[in-house]
Amino acid sequence: MLSRAGTGLGTLGLASVLSDAGLLAAAPAAIAPGRNPLAPKSTHFPARAKRIIHLFMNGGPSHVDTFDYKPSLEKYNGQKPPTSATKTERVTGSTLMMSPFKFARHGRCGLNVSEIFPNVAKCADDLCVINSMHTNIPNHEPSLLMMTCGDNQPIRPSMGSWLLYGLGAENQNLPGFVVFCPGKPVVGPQLWANSFLPGIFQGAHINNSSLDPKSVIPHLHNGSLTRAAQREQLDLLKQLNEMHLAQRSGDNPLEARIQSLEMAFRMQFEAQDVFDLSKETQSTRDLYGKGQFGEACLLSRRLLERGVRMVQIFTGGGQPWDDHGDATAHAAKAKLVDQPIAALLTDLKRTGMLDDTLVLWGGEFGRTPTAQGAKGRDHHSQGFTVWLAGGGVKGGMTYGATDEFGIAAVEKRTHVHDLHATMLHLMGLDHEKLTYRYGGRDFRLTDVHGKVAKGIFT
Amino acid sequence: MKSWHLAALCAAALGLPHNAVAADVDWNEARKFWSFQPVSKPASPAVKNGSWPTTEIDRFILARLETAGLNPAVVADKRTLIRRATFDLTGLPPTPEEIDAFLADKSPKAFESVIDRLLASPHYGERWARHWLDVARYAEDQAHTFGVKPNTEAYRYRDWVIDAFNADMPYDRFVKLQIAADLMEHQPDRIGDKAALGFFGLGAQYYKGNDRAAADEIDDRIDTMTKAFLGLTVSCARCHDHKFDPIPTLDYYSLAGVFQSTKLANVPLATKEVTDRLESMQKQLDASDKQMKEFVRQEKLQWAKPRMDEVVPYMLAVWQVRAHRQSNPKYSTAEQATLDKLDVAVLDRWFKALQPDSKTAQGIPTLDAFRKLPLPAKGKAVEVTPEVRKAAEAFLTLIRAGMAANDALAPIVKKGANGSADRLRQDMVGFLFADNGVYPITDTGMMARLNAEKKSRLETMKSELDRLKKDLPPTPATAHGIGEGTPADMKVLVRGNPADQGELAPRRFLHVLTGGHPERFTKGSGRLELADAIASKDNPLTARVLVNRLWQWHFGRGIVATPSNFGQLGQRATHPELLDYLATRFVASGWSIKAIHREIMLSKVYQLSSVDDAKPQAANRDPQVVDPDNNLLWRASRSRLDVENWRDALLAVSGQLDPSFGGPTTDLGSVSNRRRTVYAKVSRHELNGLLRLFDFPDANISSERRVDTTVPQQQLFVLNSPFFIGQAKALAARVQKESPDDTERVRRAYLLTYGRPASDAEVVLALRFLGGKDDPTEAKSNQLTRWERYAQVLLAGNEFLYVD
Repeated sequence: MLSRAGTGLGTLGLASVLSDAGLLAAAPAAIAPGRNPLAPKSTHFPARAKRIIHLFMNGGPSHVDTFDYKPSLEKYNGQKPPTSATKTERVTGSTLMMSPFKFARHGRCGLNVSEIFPNVAKCADDLCVINSMHTNIPNHEPSLLMMTCGDNQPIRPSMGSWLLYGLGAENQNLPGFVVFCPGKPVVGPQLWANSFLPGIFQGAHINNSSLDPKSVIPHLHNGSLTRAAQREQLDLLKQLNEMHLAQRSGDNPLEARIQSLEMAFRMQFEAQDVFDLSKETQSTRDLYGKGQFGEACLLSRRLLERGVRMVQIFTGGGQPWDDHGDATAHAAKAKLVDQPIAALLTDLKRTGMLDDTLVLWGGEFGRTPTAQGAKGRDHHSQGFTVWLAGGGVKGGMTYGATDEFGIAAVEKRTHVHDLHATMLHLMGLDHEKLTYRYGGRDFRLTDVHGKVAKGIFT
Repeated sequence: MKSWHLAALCAAALGLPHNAVAADVDWNEARKFWSFQPVSKPASPAVKNGSWPTTEIDRFILARLETAGLNPAVVADKRTLIRRATFDLTGLPPTPEEIDAFLADKSPKAFESVIDRLLASPHYGERWARHWLDVARYAEDQAHTFGVKPNTEAYRYRDWVIDAFNADMPYDRFVKLQIAADLMEHQPDRIGDKAALGFFGLGAQYYKGNDRAAADEIDDRIDTMTKAFLGLTVSCARCHDHKFDPIPTLDYYSLAGVFQSTKLANVPLATKEVTDRLESMQKQLDASDKQMKEFVRQEKLQWAKPRMDEVVPYMLAVWQVRAHRQSNPKYSTAEQATLDKLDVAVLDRWFKALQPDSKTAQGIPTLDAFRKLPLPAKGKAVEVTPEVRKAAEAFLTLIRAGMAANDALAPIVKKGANGSADRLRQDMVGFLFADNGVYPITDTGMMARLNAEKKSRLETMKSELDRLKKDLPPTPATAHGIGEGTPADMKVLVRGNPADQGELAPRRFLHVLTGGHPERFTKGSGRLELADAIASKDNPLTARVLVNRLWQWHFGRGIVATPSNFGQLGQRATHPELLDYLATRFVASGWSIKAIHREIMLSKVYQLSSVDDAKPQAANRDPQVVDPDNNLLWRASRSRLDVENWRDALLAVSGQLDPSFGGPTTDLGSVSNRRRTVYAKVSRHELNGLLRLFDFPDANISSERRVDTTVPQQQLFVLNSPFFIGQAKALAARVQKESPDDTERVRRAYLLTYGRPASDAEVVLALRFLGGKDDPTEAKSNQLTRWERYAQVLLAGNEFLYVD
C-alpha cells in the first residue's frame, strides 16, 4: 500500500472516500457532500484513452501552411478563387495566396507536412490529421470558447472540467486538470472554467513563464515549519478532529475533511516532486528542448504518468499564431513547438503511454487561403485542421478534406462539437449521457450537437 | 414524465421546434400543476404528540414525521443554539460575552431576544445580501475583457441589497425595484433605490463579434429574472416550446421584447430635480466658460494677427545674418536688427527658431525649404535674392491661411491631433505662437496688454465662472443599471436563430400565470407592468419561491430542493402545506423577510440538535434508516461555513476583523484586507482563488445554492497560506495577552473559536503540545511559536468550519 501511495494513487486509508465509483451513473447532478468529487468513476463503455493532452495552438494556425497541402494555391496564386461558391467569410482576402512554405511527404503514410514542422513530420505515421474541421465564428473569443467549452459564450464548463466530473481523477494528490500558459491567453481563465460544475473541477492554471515547484500550486509549500514540526501539528489536529467526530458518529463530511487534510500534507511533497524537472535525465531534457513549451510538454508527461486526467498547453499568452501581417511568421511559432511535440510523442510511445493517451494538436480555427494585405492571412472558420494521436485513433491517416483551395470543409465535415463527441467517446464517455442538471436542464459538453467520428478509431 | 400539451409533446418527439399558439393550449389544464395553483391557506395539521410543537411550523413538520413513524431529536443546548443562530443571521461567530449573556438569561424568551438582537444587527444584511447576490449572479466585470469596462460602481448594487435586507424592505418592493426602479417614483431620501437596477445592469455583456450576442444577453436577463423571482426556467423556451413546463416560445419572446426595449444605462442616484438643476447649472457654467475663453482668444488673436506683417522682414533678416556669417562669423543679429529697424530680441528668437536643429520648425515643409536656401559664397556680397523673398512669402501665405481658420490659436493649447493638414496648421501656428515659439502668447502677456476696461471685464467673467464652479452641486453617484430604449415587440426567432423570424410576440406576461389571457404591456418597454405582474400577491410563484429560498438558507435544503426550478423537472415539495403556510404568512406580514426569519427560528424544528440522538422509541423506526438525508427534518443538519463566513470568522476570533460597512470593492489578494468577505471583488473573468477554492459560485450564471466540495487544495490553504498563518499568529497573540497562563489561554481560545469551554482532556493535550520541544537541529527552521502552531490547529479544526 505504501508504494502505491508513492505512485500517486494516494489511497492510504481512503477506502471510504474513494469507493464512489458509480456516482456518475446514479445521479449526474448529485455531488454528495462528504464524497470526494474527484474519486475515480466508471466509464459508460470501455475507454480507449485514459488521459488527454491538448497542444493548443492558440491564435489560429493556418491549415494550408501546416497540415493541409493545397497545390491549387500555387497554380492560382494571386488570382480570385475561380468558383464563386468558395468564398471566405472575411472580406479582407480576395486573392488566393500560396503557402510560403514547402511541403513534403513523410512516413509510410506519405502525409504532406509543411517544412516548418520537420520533427513532427517524423511522427507522421502516428498522426490522425482531421482536415475537415469547421467552427461557427471567425473571431478568437467565441472560437476559443467553442474549442475549450463547446459554446461561443462564457457560460459552459470546459472539456477538462467535464472529464473530471465524468471520470474523476486517478491521483488525489495532484490537480486533475492542468493548464500551462505563460501569462494569459485571450479570453483567459474562462477557457478552463468549471462554470456551473463544482469549483474543484476547474483547471489549475500554471504560469510556466517561471516554474518554481514550490509555488506551481497555490499554498503548496510551508515556509514556516519543518516537515517534522508540521507533522506533529497535524497529529494534534487529527486527534482533536477525531474526538470531535466521535461525538458525531458517522458524519461523511467531517471524515472526508480529516482525510483531505492528510492528503494535503502528502500533496505538498508529491506535487513539488512532479514539477521538479531536475529529476529528469539530461538526455530527456535535451529531447524536449529548453523553451517554455518544451518544459511544459515534459512536465505534462510527468503529470499524465501520475494520473492527471487532462493537460492543456497553450503556445503562449495572448494569441501567438495570429499572423495577420505575414504568413511566414508561422515559422517562428512552429519552431517553438515542433521539437517538444515530437519529443512528447516519441517519449509517450517509448513508454507505451501513447496507447491510452489522446493527443490533440490544433488552434481555435484556421486562416484564410486568400491573402490579407500583401502576405498575411485572416481568421477562418469554414475549414481548418487539427490532428489527434495515440489513445485509440489510427495513426498515419487523414480524415475529411477541404475544397481544392482549403476554403471550406467539404468531405466528412467535422464540427468542434463532433471533435468533442469523438474525444469523449475515446475516453469511454457517451457525450449524450455525460450530463449535468443545472437550472432545470441537463447540459452537455456538446449541447444538442456532436456526432462521433468512428472512422478514425483503431 | 408528462409533457404539458400534446403539440409540444409531438414536436419534442420529432425533435422539431414548435411555436405554440396560445389557443392550442388548455391553460386551465396547464395550471393544474402544483406550483401554478393559487397559494392555499392550509389548516393546522393534526398531530399525535400535541405537546411537542411550539409553533405552527412544528405542527407541519411533526405531522410528516409521525406519518413516517419518526421521532424528532432533542432540542440543542444553548451554546449550540447561539452559535448556529449567530452564524446563520450574521455570518459571524458569537463572542464569549454574547454566549455568557444568553446562558445567563433564564427567561423563556431568551432565544427570541437573541434572534431579535441579531436581526437588528447591521451584520445581518451583510450575510443575507450575499445569499441574494448568488441568485442575482452579482459580479463587477465580464468573463472576457475585450472591449468591456469593469463595472467600478457595481458595489452600489451590493450595498443596496445589504441595506434592503437590513431595512427589511418589503420583498414585493425589493423585486419591483430591481426590475423597474427607473420607472417608479422615489422619495428623495430613497433615491438610492435606483441602484437596484444593477440586477440587470450588471448582467452579462458578451463578446460582440457575433450576431447572436445581443440575443444571448437578453437570454441572460430572462434566465436570471425568471429563475430568481419565479423559480421558472423560461430560457428553455428560447429555441422550442419548453419541453416540460407550459411556456411556449411565444412567451419567451414576449419577455424578450421587454428587454429588447430596454438598454444598459448608468443611472444617477439623484432625484430628477437634482439632476435637472445640475444639468442647467452645468450648461450655464459651460456657457460662461466658453464666453471667457472666446474673450481671451480674441484678445490673443488681435495681438497675434499684426505679427504676420513681421514674418517676411524677420525671415529675410535671419537669412542675411546667416549669409554675412559666411564671411564674417562674428556678424551679430544686433547689427542686422539695427540695419533693418527690427527688435533684436525678436530677431534672436527667429534666428534660433530657424536653426537647422530647431525642433519647432521641424516638419513644416516651407520652413525646411527656407532653411535649405543657398547662401552666397564666402566673400560675395550679401543680397536678398527673389528666391529668398519668395520662400519667406510662401510661409506667410500659408500661415495667414492657417490663422484664418476659426480657432486659429486653439492648437497652442491642444497639440497632437491627427490629420496631416490640420497637423501642419497646428505646427505652423505653434511655431509662431506656442510657449516655445517665436511670439509666445502667454496669459500673462495678454493680461499685461489689456486696458483697464477689458481687464475688469475679464475679472468679472472670471469671478462669475468661479462662483458657478463653486455653486455647482457635486456630481451624483451613478449606478450601473438599465433604462428605457425604443419600445418594440420582437418576433419569435425560430430555433433561436436571429436570421429566421417567425410570428410577432407582443410584450406581455406569461400565459400560464395570467389564466391564459395575458394583457399587452402598453407603457414603454413594459418593464413596470412586468414588475407588477411578478411582485403580485396573486402570482402563485413569487412568495412561494422566496420563502423556500429562506428555508433553504436556514436549513441547507429547501422545502422544494430545487429553489430556482418550481417546474416539472424540479423537485416536489417535501412539505407542500408548510410552503403555502409560509407563503401566506409572508404576504400577510407585508412581505417581511425578517418576520419569516423569526417564524422559522422560533420553531422547535430550527432548534433541534444535529447530533443524531433521536433514538427509535417503541413502535417507531430508526430515522437513520428511514430518512438518512434528513429530508423530513427530524434533526438539524450540520452545515459547513460558506467561504465568506469562514474567512470572516477567522478574522473575528483572531481579533483582526475590520467591521466597517459598505463602499468600493476590496482585494482579497491583499494581506492587509481585513474587511468582511462580502466586500471583496467578485469577478467573472477570474474569480479570486480563495473564493473559487471554497465553492463560491461562478457569477456568469444565477446560482441557486452552494455546492460543498472537500479537496486537499483547500487544506493547503489552511496549512500554508499567509492569510491563515497570519490569523493563527494573531489569535495566539490575542489569548496570550488576554489570559495569564497557558491553561487559561487554552480555555479562552476554546471559547473564542468554538464557543464552548475546553474539556479537561483537551486542556491536557494542549499543554502537552505547548510544552513540546523541537528537535534542536530543526529548531531554527521553525518560524512559528508553539502557541502559533496550536492556534493554527484550533482554527483548522472541523469544529471551527462546521456548525452543529
